Amino acid sequence: MAEFEWPWQYSFPPFFTLQPNADVRRTQLDSWCALVVSWGKSNSVSQIDVTEASSLPVFKNNAISRALPVDGIKVVLDELAKRGNLEWTDKTRRRGYLLWRSPSEWGQQIYSWAQSTSRINNVCTLYEINQGDESADQEFHGLDGDILLKALKTLEVTGKAELMDFGDNQGIKFL
Amino acid sequence: MLGVGDFYYELGVQMLELCVATSYRNGGVILLEEVLRRLNQRRRPDNQISSDDVVRAVKKLRVLGSGMEVVATGSSQFIYSIPGELSMDHTTLLQQAETVGHMTVCSAASSLGWTQERVGRTLDHLLRVGIAWRDDQDRPASFWFPAFFQQCTTAE
Repeated sequence: MAEFEWPWQYSFPPFFTLQPNADVRRTQLDSWCALVVSWGKSNSVSQIDVTEASSLPVFKNNAISRALPVDGIKVVLDELAKRGNLEWTDKTRRRGYLLWRSPSEWGQQIYSWAQSTSRINNVCTLYEINQGDESADQEFHGLDGDILLKALKTLEVTGKAELMDFGDNQGIKFL
Repeated sequence: MLGVGDFYYELGVQMLELCVATSYRNGGVILLEEVLRRLNQRRRPDNQISSDDVVRAVKKLRVLGSGMEVVATGSSQFIYSIPGELSMDHTTLLQQAETVGHMTVCSAASSLGWTQERVGRTLDHLLRVGIAWRDDQDRPASFWFPAFFQQCTTAE
């Protein structure tokens, strides 16, 4: 995987201080949201935990000894949630799924793959989808299990698939 | 007199577009060398513009009330293009900023021979329009300028 290219803002010390002026802050938050989403995508980060976020490289640039403070991180995560790029796992807003793709976009990609690998009308396990050899070249390979499930549910809702439970395993039948 | 199709008028319009396009990140202040580099990138090698061309274009546009101005610093020049022109104090502080990159209220007061209060007032305006950003993780707080920050001026 190519190394992630940090934007100029990441080297700019004041970027890690929430700016006092509302208009400037809006621009700053735009940049933060874009950065977190593209960094998450590049590093396959699917969840962010507020209590551990301070140590993530995206919020902390050791080269310039700057780190976004926790309340700044919360502001950025709230903004991501508003824009649909983050989904809190519960009301405590301690942990959230980072959605650099929406669940239905993932669903569509998985369905196309199912079509091109002759899986329609066949059952396959969730493991095959996000960890199997046949999906190794796919963007959704390695996708977090919870997000995978959300993605497959969007297919279920549109009648393209049926989720199945086999006790320990979960499977899906593409229609 | 200005004619449509006038070389400097057209150049001025291109510059205005560039200033508008980059002002979200530099607050409306841009180094002349950045203007040159970006505009020349899109021009044929045998059709490159010089800093004199840029200065002349700004002068022509001012006649039309563009609000653009070229300001010289010790080693270079910058252009500002924001409505409500900058005051002498703003441009003086910016000249200082271009030289040092970042400053604290104390360092600026001392270099410029101003009171801290005057520096603070001047910075307040520049912060408000996004020309200056504050860094609270520096002790004391320091102030930086995207327009003069190398990674910003060379970013896509």
